[in-house]
Amino acid sequence: MFWRLVFQLLRGSRGRLAVAILAIVSGAAVISALLNLDLGVQNKLAQEFRRLGANIVISPASGAPAQISGAEVPSLMPERDVLTAMQQLPSAQVAAAAPYLYIVARAQNIPVVVAGTWLDQAQKLDVTWKLEGNWIVSRADDSHCLVGRNVARRLHLVVGNPLDLHYLDRSAQCSVTAIVDAGGTEDNQVFASLRAVQALANLPGQIGLAQLSVTGTTQVVADYAARLAAALPQYQVRPIRQVAEAEGALLGRIRLLIVSMVLLILILTALCVLGTMAALAMERRKDVGLMKSLGGSISRIVGIFLAEAGVLGAAGGLLGTILGAALSYWMGLRVFGTAIAPRWEVFPATIALMVLVTLTGAIPLRLLGNVKPADILRGE
Amino acid sequence: MATVVQAENLRKEFGNVRALDGVSFTVAAGEWIAIMGPSGSGKTTLINILGGLDTPTAGKAIVDGTDVARLDEAGLTRFRAEKIGFIFQQFHLVPYLTAVENVMLAQYFHSTTDEKEARQSLERVGLGDRIEHLPSQLSGGEQQRVAVARALINHPKLILADEPTGNLDEANEEIVLRLLRELHVEGHTILMVTHAPSIGRLADRRIEFAHGHLVPAAAASLKPELA
Repeated sequence: MFWRLVFQLLRGSRGRLAVAILAIVSGAAVISALLNLDLGVQNKLAQEFRRLGANIVISPASGAPAQISGAEVPSLMPERDVLTAMQQLPSAQVAAAAPYLYIVARAQNIPVVVAGTWLDQAQKLDVTWKLEGNWIVSRADDSHCLVGRNVARRLHLVVGNPLDLHYLDRSAQCSVTAIVDAGGTEDNQVFASLRAVQALANLPGQIGLAQLSVTGTTQVVADYAARLAAALPQYQVRPIRQVAEAEGALLGRIRLLIVSMVLLILILTALCVLGTMAALAMERRKDVGLMKSLGGSISRIVGIFLAEAGVLGAAGGLLGTILGAALSYWMGLRVFGTAIAPRWEVFPATIALMVLVTLTGAIPLRLLGNVKPADILRGE
Repeated sequence: MATVVQAENLRKEFGNVRALDGVSFTVAAGEWIAIMGPSGSGKTTLINILGGLDTPTAGKAIVDGTDVARLDEAGLTRFRAEKIGFIFQQFHLVPYLTAVENVMLAQYFHSTTDEKEARQSLERVGLGDRIEHLPSQLSGGEQQRVAVARALINHPKLILADEPTGNLDEANEEIVLRLLRELHVEGHTILMVTHAPSIGRLADRRIEFAHGHLVPAAAASLKPELA
């Protein structure tokens, strides 16, 4: 009989309750969408930040340059040490990695910075670069190179031109496959294969630094860097703080925004339910007076009304959560270009929140405890 | 015959207004009593006190051995559920419950519901074909018969009827009075408030009120008090 009463109450007051259910569904939809976004945004943002390039750098501990063959070169590391350490850690987290050897060579008698690296990784580590020409897809390709736009302008190079590089008494030639517009210092550099630059500098197996792009949250990146540092105690391993801090700060602000909005929506929903329930409590004074005259205790009577509010909150919460999942899916597509999948934990959390809010909004029903049946039945 | 109602020097005041002033009488089990008097004479106040809807300012109101004046809120609630069957002038049915659900509501607050018994109760008052109707789909007479079925469902010790035919046309009045007569024959104890002398004459006895007092002439016709 209890649930029969509850559902008859819901049916009998559906007009009045429509306002409350609308508020609950709307509130649940937005809260569910925000919670889905909050949980999904970390991964999405991490992916977005990976677009900014490398987030871990390995370099020699000492910044003092070395003198090799009479030329000054920065401190170096054996390529094999670094690669071995990297291979010992899970590769699934590493989106891209490349060693670098920088030298200052001469081209057309003009000094130019030449970076030897794995050119097949450049596309992943430097996704913001704009290229006129084509990427180099093989790290073993020693005959092609990329040229920064400032270098190309000074040397009057276009795609397809040969470029002669001289270093001490050695020289090498490569064909320009693309002009790089990076909007930074890379515009003043030439990028060639690591092996070719090591040969030109006569530094086989030596690198100046290595860069990694690790996928995950700020904490994941920091953890990975720490493990790498433990494996390479003789070198400096550090997350690129700017990227990591920007990511962490942005996530913190987004979370604060989402929590604030969720709280605001909960309060607004509770106020809306409160208004509806206050009106309903006035309407039901006569019913409560009658129920009391029939021997209904106030706890049983208010229990029926609270169950009604609970069902209302649960049903509105469920419907709203489903709508919210669709909303977050759409927002993910619009903002990040990929859908944010609904998280299962959002369903019980949102429904529980809406039931709680609805029960809070049902506080005016407690006033029914003061109803005097004799007064009500007299028509007062 | 056992005493079901014993009122002893019952007094009820609403501020400066004395609605009941030293009312004493007894009702034996199985009696049908008509409570009569002009508006504002204290009839409904008496019914409310005996039904546990209100408490007296002073005096005793003993119903089936329970002094209603001494009961707390929870005690009054149980008292109403277990001992009293109310029939109101305005019917007072829950508008969003069907006829059978209105009857079952009284069962629910008493103990457990039994839909079969509730249906039988409605069939008994001639509403077998109106069981699933809402009050808004019933005539006034039909609504009052639902109220009678609801009042009887928990086998109360005392039926309190406050102007049960006051809102009914002649035909429906006759149906409801016939039901009350049947209940009386079956041995139910009934206290009925009425303005109509013709209805009052159907009762075993009449108690007449004026300004919160029993009218002496009527009081003289009462059975001896159980002082």
